[in-house]
Amino acid sequence: MLTEFGKIFVFILIAILFVVVALIAAKIIRPARPTHEKLLTYECGENPEGSPWVKFNIRFYVVALIFLIFDVEVVLLIPWALVYQDYGFTGFAVGAIFLLLLGLGMAYEWRKGDLEWDRPHPIPPVLKKSETDSNLKIPKEEIEVV
Amino acid sequence: MTLYDIIFYLFALVTISSAYLVVTVRNIVYSAFSLLFTLFGIAGLYALLGADFVAIVQLIVYVGGILILMIFGVMLTNKITNVQIKTGVFQILPATIGVGIFGGFLLAVLLNTNWLNLNVKDSPATTFQLGQLLMNEWVLPFELLGIVLLIALLGAASIARK
Amino acid sequence: MEAPLKYIFDSIQYLKPEVAVSIFLAILVTVDLVLGKKNKQVLPYIALAGLVITGYFVTQQFGTSAFASVQHNIGNFGLIAVDSFGNYFKLIIILSSIFIVLFSISSIEIKQVFDRHGEYYSLIFGMMLGMMLMVSSADLILIYLSIELVSLSSYVLAGFTKQSLRNSEASLKYIIYGGTASGIMLFGISILYGIMGTTNLYAINTILQNGAFQPLALIISCILIFTGFGFKISAAPFHFWTPDVYEGAPIAITAYLSIASKAAGFALLIRFIKVTFIQTIGEDGYWQLLGVIDWKSFLIMISILTMTLGNFSALWQDNLKRMLAYSSIAHAGYMLLGLAVFSDQGVMAILIYFLIYLFMNLGAFFVVMLIANKIGSEEIDEYDGIAYKTPLLAVSLAVFLISLTGLPPTAGFIAKLYLFIALVDAKMIAVAIIALLNTVVSLYYYIRVLKHMFLTKPKVEGERITIGIADTVVLLAMLIPIFLFGLYFTPIVNFAKNSIALLGF
Repeated sequence: MLTEFGKIFVFILIAILFVVVALIAAKIIRPARPTHEKLLTYECGENPEGSPWVKFNIRFYVVALIFLIFDVEVVLLIPWALVYQDYGFTGFAVGAIFLLLLGLGMAYEWRKGDLEWDRPHPIPPVLKKSETDSNLKIPKEEIEVV
Repeated sequence: MTLYDIIFYLFALVTISSAYLVVTVRNIVYSAFSLLFTLFGIAGLYALLGADFVAIVQLIVYVGGILILMIFGVMLTNKITNVQIKTGVFQILPATIGVGIFGGFLLAVLLNTNWLNLNVKDSPATTFQLGQLLMNEWVLPFELLGIVLLIALLGAASIARK
Repeated sequence: MEAPLKYIFDSIQYLKPEVAVSIFLAILVTVDLVLGKKNKQVLPYIALAGLVITGYFVTQQFGTSAFASVQHNIGNFGLIAVDSFGNYFKLIIILSSIFIVLFSISSIEIKQVFDRHGEYYSLIFGMMLGMMLMVSSADLILIYLSIELVSLSSYVLAGFTKQSLRNSEASLKYIIYGGTASGIMLFGISILYGIMGTTNLYAINTILQNGAFQPLALIISCILIFTGFGFKISAAPFHFWTPDVYEGAPIAITAYLSIASKAAGFALLIRFIKVTFIQTIGEDGYWQLLGVIDWKSFLIMISILTMTLGNFSALWQDNLKRMLAYSSIAHAGYMLLGLAVFSDQGVMAILIYFLIYLFMNLGAFFVVMLIANKIGSEEIDEYDGIAYKTPLLAVSLAVFLISLTGLPPTAGFIAKLYLFIALVDAKMIAVAIIALLNTVVSLYYYIRVLKHMFLTKPKVEGERITIGIADTVVLLAMLIPIFLFGLYFTPIVNFAKNSIALLGF
């Protein structure tokens, strides 16, 4: 009754059970004597301040969203890819229309700049006008002196 | 109890116990991680039913995609540490009555219905059959799916962008 | 091995409107990409051209009734039923889409998001494609897919401008309610498939005709499926999203949701019930349904609940958009009564109602939008004495509201008249009286707006509100039919009478 994939799932399940059983067994057997020092995040070094949960860049979300949609598209293409050879050109055309729509979406994302990451914008140092004036004047006077 | 039954109950146990955790755990991040096991268990059930393609899709799309998106959604929340996400119990009486009635009906349906049995004895890999269906009778919904996904892409990008 | 050729080219002649919409959707996206940031004014005109071409293909199809995308393995039933009934609703959808594009051209809200015009019109076309498939699909899988297409587009469109908090709130509430509703509907579909072994409505009907049904599972699955449909037509008790979404969404989109989305939902509901559960149609046009589910009592209950809730909630509203949202719930209730009659006459009444409802409801929203463009608010208090600032808009709004109430000589009267005739003819007198009392209640809140516009002195003396020539033309395009159909209604009645035929029945 098990399919080929079913057997793989059984393997995965056994693997998970193996880990869980090993961890629980270790938990039961090992001695547990926690001290304050042992429970620190870093036994030597600075203690962490604040929460590690910080706000992430919104770009992650957009990229993940786009990934998800293309993920679904690719999943749908797998059955098509297995059979289209048997149907000749029309078989190809069926998938080609689908891929064209996918490509249109891709072009859209590209053109609208959703695939670009926010780059840091370094501001080059600019000399203030008053400074430049004074800087320029001083050498001039020096030249006259010489 | 055959080996098949044992495996089925194992997957069912994984699914239900982690689903219980999803709704009871107070921390929303733990809740999202419990969902991972629920989705995995469902994928296992699909595989047991002989729907191997659907099982893999469940893994790729739900575990690999949607769950990541959910965790991102949590991580992107502004001031995540200060937000008190309410996971308390509200309206317990109406909820119990509603769920009870609905669950009772579903149980009655489940027990009193002659479900159609398709008797998949030893089903071959379904992906190929699925491909042939998509190329014949279901070619129109297949192309329509392309448009649905395009619309989803346009909408998602335009709503997520600033 | 069978070539997919057969499945595509056999049915492409029946799918011309859908193909046209899809092609124009792709064109809109492409043009938007090519144009870049400038020259986006051209997009609405491309959309209009696409709508006109699609409309042409639909009118070409009138009279045909055939299956498209035929499933040869299950008794030659198809995924899509092309018939006059579907074409009538497709025409309503296209007509309202044309008006919505015209609205969007003059809407300030939409102009503010000028750089996202490409997405806006593409999403409208995606929504339209979904609705056109909704009205003609005869297969549960395609029904679900098309509902999802409509929902996805409308979730985004409801929160499209992202200018205000209530805009985003509308989108979020819509997506949560919509996601739940479609999940429940999908569950119902899966139960139905579990007992029937097919997703085709005609095939299910054949199985039911042979008497092999299991009442409990069938009833539960149909109630669950009705949740999805009820959400789309905002019938009570699935209407909770309507006021919030209608208030928060851009006005053009609110108008679109209240007409096209609702029309598609109704067409789907009628097709689902008629095709799946019909036994015979009598000589007098009354349908004999299979006695598995008591659809009649169920629908009467839902519709009375819907119209009463809608009308009584509308009484307390201070925001015109919100009031129109509740009034649209009430109208959904009236139209559900037309279905509950279960006769060809009742369906005809719904068809007439929708065509007239299109003009009067879109008109009301258009005036509200034009005034909101100028004063930036839809609160009824802000409408005090607006008749002195803009007589044309105030009078038009008055006409649209009177028509929504259903008073002669406006077209709204004809719409209600045919509905009541169908009810009385079916000897549903008690229900007709309840509907009539509801109409009286609705008179109060519609007239209240008129009182504010004409009889109250404005708080602040504002300057006159003027509108452009293009807007005036659009306004007249909706105002004239109200009077025209109110006095000379034979053509639409005949048109509706010729359009009641569903494929196979």
